[in-house]
Amino acid sequence: MSDYKAVVIGGSAGSFSLMLKMLAGIKSDFKLPIILCMHRLKHVRSGIAESMQIKSKLPIIEPMDKQRIEPGAVYLAPANYHMFIELDGTVSLSTEEMNFFCRPSIDYTLSSCAAAYREKLVGIILTGANADGAKGLKDIADKKGYTIVQDPATAEVDTMPKSALAVMTPNEVLKPEGIIAFLNNL
Amino acid sequence: MEFKAFLDEFKNQTGFDFCDYSDESLNRRLIKIQKETSLDYEGILSRVAVDEKFKQKIVEDITVNTTELFRDPDVWVGLYKKLYCSIPRNVTTAFWHIGCSIGLEVYSNLILLNELNMLDSVRVMATDLNSSVLETAKAGVYVYNKQFEDNFNKVFMELGKNVRFDKYFDRDKDTLKVKPFLTAVPKFKQQNLVSEDAPFPFKTDFVFLRNVMIYFNNKLQVKIMKMVYDKMYDGAYLILGKQERLPLNMSGRFEAIANLYRKNALNL
Repeated sequence: MSDYKAVVIGGSAGSFSLMLKMLAGIKSDFKLPIILCMHRLKHVRSGIAESMQIKSKLPIIEPMDKQRIEPGAVYLAPANYHMFIELDGTVSLSTEEMNFFCRPSIDYTLSSCAAAYREKLVGIILTGANADGAKGLKDIADKKGYTIVQDPATAEVDTMPKSALAVMTPNEVLKPEGIIAFLNNL
Repeated sequence: MEFKAFLDEFKNQTGFDFCDYSDESLNRRLIKIQKETSLDYEGILSRVAVDEKFKQKIVEDITVNTTELFRDPDVWVGLYKKLYCSIPRNVTTAFWHIGCSIGLEVYSNLILLNELNMLDSVRVMATDLNSSVLETAKAGVYVYNKQFEDNFNKVFMELGKNVRFDKYFDRDKDTLKVKPFLTAVPKFKQQNLVSEDAPFPFKTDFVFLRNVMIYFNNKLQVKIMKMVYDKMYDGAYLILGKQERLPLNMSGRFEAIANLYRKNALNL
């Protein structure tokens, strides 16, 4: 039985198709909540959760404010909101200023998860075109959570994984297949 | 000094009560304020005690004031089609925008009402904790943002109406100004919803409370919802943000219609 309480994943450019592939590969009895923060194009604000649901065996939820995080579901940060996880395991949303020109901000979601789950968290950074997420992943590592960065050589855009590697040393650098296998072994 | 102790002391000193705000995002904003001012909590409090402008600045930085014109265009399309088209014109209809910030939501709403020639039969009150954002709201002068115009066009395209952006706005390079016939309508008023008991003088038909309560914890959400409920006529509508729902144990008091909540008559 896994000691972890949650998995949080951040990604930007190139991560949508990758996420579809990962969701398709995650086993249907996956026990932990997966908290997902992905940058979206401004003109594509809807339809992402629906596309993911087609591939995913786990339910895809765009959470309401104060909704409780439950095991075995995927929580996707809603378009145009920042998503925080509170210490009591509920979601808080915010419309405050963008971070790296992005709302949702990956840093904000990852840092709040680091505070809420501490060493019982797995944090993963995927392909992406800016540095959002690097600080958040470092916060997870600082709280002794388990950190994974997608191998930049396999990333469609390697800025985001490289930015993370520049500020911290993750537990593992993995190809997408390796990340899927890691999650299925939790 | 701890985060919670700071909030208690800030409340005692200023009357602004942030004790029941959602911890995670508030904590992060306070850390940011400490960095930007190079002051710790004690330092912030001592300066707040003697510097009114600084106090206002802190309140402004703690609260979130981001807003956009016609945020979530489909919500506005729904309001127009489902509700506004059938509002009677021979009586006054009252609107209350809570946490109106710089007023873009107020003007979004007035644009729709004007398209129905209703400006003469509405009473519009807009309130916010923060007095400096209200000055901007009154003036109706903004930095131009393409997202505003995109949202505007999306709303009218979906309504099948041909309405030009410059019917309501004068643009000069980066400055966007709301036309005077709109800025003349609403009354903007500073109001501390958390600490005032009877904050609103008259009952309303429509309450906009969008992306305000996301900053509050559940306890404060319930308190505010009860107060707002009392200021609504039976059958009045409450409009929440797209990712918000009624706090637990308040849902029986409203009928949910998509993103809109219609107040039920109280069954005693």
